[in-house]
Amino acid sequence: MSGRAPLPDAVRLLSFEDESRLFVKLRATLAWETIRSMLSDARLRLSLVVLLSGMFWAALYGLFVEGFGFLDALHAEVISLLFNTFFASLMVMLVFSTGILVYTGMYCSTEAKLLLTLPVRAEAIHAHKFREAMWFSSWGFVLLGSPMLTAYGVVRHAAWPYYVVMLPLMISFVFIPASVGSIICTTLVAWMPRLRLHALTIGVTVACVAALGLGWSMFSQARVDSMSAAWFERTFARLSVTEQKLFPSWWLSMGLIEAARTERDGSMMAASLFESLKFLALLIANALALQHLAGWVARIAYRKGYSQLTGEIPARRRRPLRWFDRALGHAGFATGRPLRLLLVKDFRLFRRDISQWSQFAIFFGLLGLYFLNLRAFNYHNAYASMIGYLNLAVVGLILSTFTTRFVYPMISLEGRRFWILGLLPLHRDQIVWSKFLFSFVGSLGPCCILVLLSDCMLGISWPLIAQHELCCVMLCMGLSGIAVGLGARMPDLREASPSKISSGFGGTLSLVISSLFIMATVMAAAVPTHLFLLSHTLGPSVVSSHGILAWAGGQWGSIAGALVVVGLGLTATVVPLTLGLRAFRRLEA
Amino acid sequence: MIEFDHVTRTYGAKTAVSDLTLAIPRGELFALLGPNGAGKTTTIRMLVGLLHPSRGAVRVCGHDLVKDPRAAHLHLGYVPDEPTLYDKLTGREFLWFIADMFGMPQRLATDRIDREVDHFELGEFADDLAESYSLGMKQRLVFAASFLHDPDVLVLDEPMVGLDPRSVRIVKDLLAARTREGMTVFMSTHTLAMAEEMADRVGIMVRGQLRFLGTIAELREQMALESTTLEQLYLEVTSGRGGQP
Repeated sequence: MSGRAPLPDAVRLLSFEDESRLFVKLRATLAWETIRSMLSDARLRLSLVVLLSGMFWAALYGLFVEGFGFLDALHAEVISLLFNTFFASLMVMLVFSTGILVYTGMYCSTEAKLLLTLPVRAEAIHAHKFREAMWFSSWGFVLLGSPMLTAYGVVRHAAWPYYVVMLPLMISFVFIPASVGSIICTTLVAWMPRLRLHALTIGVTVACVAALGLGWSMFSQARVDSMSAAWFERTFARLSVTEQKLFPSWWLSMGLIEAARTERDGSMMAASLFESLKFLALLIANALALQHLAGWVARIAYRKGYSQLTGEIPARRRRPLRWFDRALGHAGFATGRPLRLLLVKDFRLFRRDISQWSQFAIFFGLLGLYFLNLRAFNYHNAYASMIGYLNLAVVGLILSTFTTRFVYPMISLEGRRFWILGLLPLHRDQIVWSKFLFSFVGSLGPCCILVLLSDCMLGISWPLIAQHELCCVMLCMGLSGIAVGLGARMPDLREASPSKISSGFGGTLSLVISSLFIMATVMAAAVPTHLFLLSHTLGPSVVSSHGILAWAGGQWGSIAGALVVVGLGLTATVVPLTLGLRAFRRLEA
Repeated sequence: MIEFDHVTRTYGAKTAVSDLTLAIPRGELFALLGPNGAGKTTTIRMLVGLLHPSRGAVRVCGHDLVKDPRAAHLHLGYVPDEPTLYDKLTGREFLWFIADMFGMPQRLATDRIDREVDHFELGEFADDLAESYSLGMKQRLVFAASFLHDPDVLVLDEPMVGLDPRSVRIVKDLLAARTREGMTVFMSTHTLAMAEEMADRVGIMVRGQLRFLGTIAELREQMALESTTLEQLYLEVTSGRGGQP
């Protein structure tokens, strides 16, 4: 039995190049089909994505042109420091994000399971999944980096070679941290399976603590002398750690700065361009070497790691929050026991779905970090109020992405379990109400705390804090109402993937309506307050003392603004929920 | 064609498969039976190279699944319990992808794809995107893909889940014909009637150990239960009351 059978006539092992070519062909076909279905089924979403991306790009470009204009006049060295800090931060983020995406694609996807049973090289599968991970982790860099670098070129009056080398410099740079992330991930899974999670947790914690420490050290003393020469000197000294010549981020910065250099002398200009090309060559060489190393690691470690991971049994689940479930299940509020039990179930599912709570924690954690650093500057009253409202809008917008992504599909997913729920003594309305309560109660705490933190850091007065909190409560209620109501009105019972449900027409509509609701709510509260503060701090000459503006800037204007906010919140809650309840009662599962 | 050589697979402190030694020759249809958690899925995963044994070796046509997985996979066809397809590929595009991955020449691939589309009656929906397929349609497509390169060894994990009676008949007839031509089939199933109807030999696994290996007639003989059904024999073996057959 141990003698090897000859290969069947019909088949042969492919070369690495042939395998790669097949994966590229596969990726192209999948991309084309995805674009085609988006053009036919999700035009609204596609148009919104293109439009918003264009607007985002243009706004960033404008901002960077202004910023670089200011900095260029100030001191040229600032640009170098800015580039180094920006690219060094991105480098660290790309290592983590690509590592996580490589892990998801290579070890947790059903595609990997299929490919590992085909006669394909492990390194070819790795290259295929690595390209995917790199694309997903670096498109943000391109969206953020391209307006910045274009603006820099325009401000510096850079010649055309700058724009030619800009993209190759960016792409070759991205390959370096992405390859490092991939190598770390593949190595950890294969050789440290038991330590994998701990290592990841420690790594992320260290990175967060380092970021916090850096932020704190930069801004802790800044309140006294912000934007002074001493402040700049201290900041320079602390950020100089990013100017290490062995960092790829430094090579990229230098490559860009050299390419953008404008010299009157032609030979000097050629020398600058040559310097830039040397940095490009350095980036490409390192990118290729690391890519090769990542492929080599995958060849020896991928199948072994996959087997290790598949063979791990999940640790016995501890239930540290059992008291919470028990308390919620026995809570005496007027919701009825079945509804409370549904709530307990939803909170349990949320806790156990790492993709939900981790994204929630990351986004709200970053917002919290930003709010904590708001104390760094001294604000004018009216300015502080405006920032407070902008922060309120940001909290609302982030919450709306969560309600669209996670709350909107809940009814559709519940509809798939009708065979369970249909047999229980439950009224369908209770299912819809439980989702609404889950979203509203779950979002209220984190959002109100964040808004309070922002206001406290900005030194906003208590009446204004109360108004912000009222807006926040209305936003949580309205956004929950929109997501649950539309989710019940337009359920997709065939789809099992929540991301696909939320990216359909209903999900996009929910996101658009949520954004409009946030803008209307914040504007309704902010305009009267801002006018009031302007007239009281800068004098009545700034704001008209007669007519609608005077009325809006007065006491009655603020009261009317608050009433409009409450009205908008109730409308955004009641109307979609009524439509959703009506449709869900009639739904035939 | 298939060889398990003192294979043990542990998950931490738990032993999922314990010292499994089993050889399945060319042209045999082998059915692996056992209750949930007996180690059937672990055995299948080791056979297709998704899991590495903690000890011992698994070989297909003489190729070690750990040391030489690609050569082993050239001889293997695999139908998992949950069909994996690309949603945004049509059935025909998926078949082409698999044929290309096995390095099949264009002309031969065209003929084989047409042959399998015909066998599994995929013609009506072969040019639709897989995202629109029902579970049964997906399962038929995966079957077609696994037969494309005429594998020497076909591994089936609960193969009839989601198939309608007509498709089940097609699969059964095809398996019977191919095993006559020399293909080896390794099938894990809970459907005892199918094992009884199709299998040349059965293996009954309980808590990671192969409790019985042989034909159904041998099982009856060893259990001294002449006129009983396979279901009764299976329950006897897996309950442990019947002792070691």
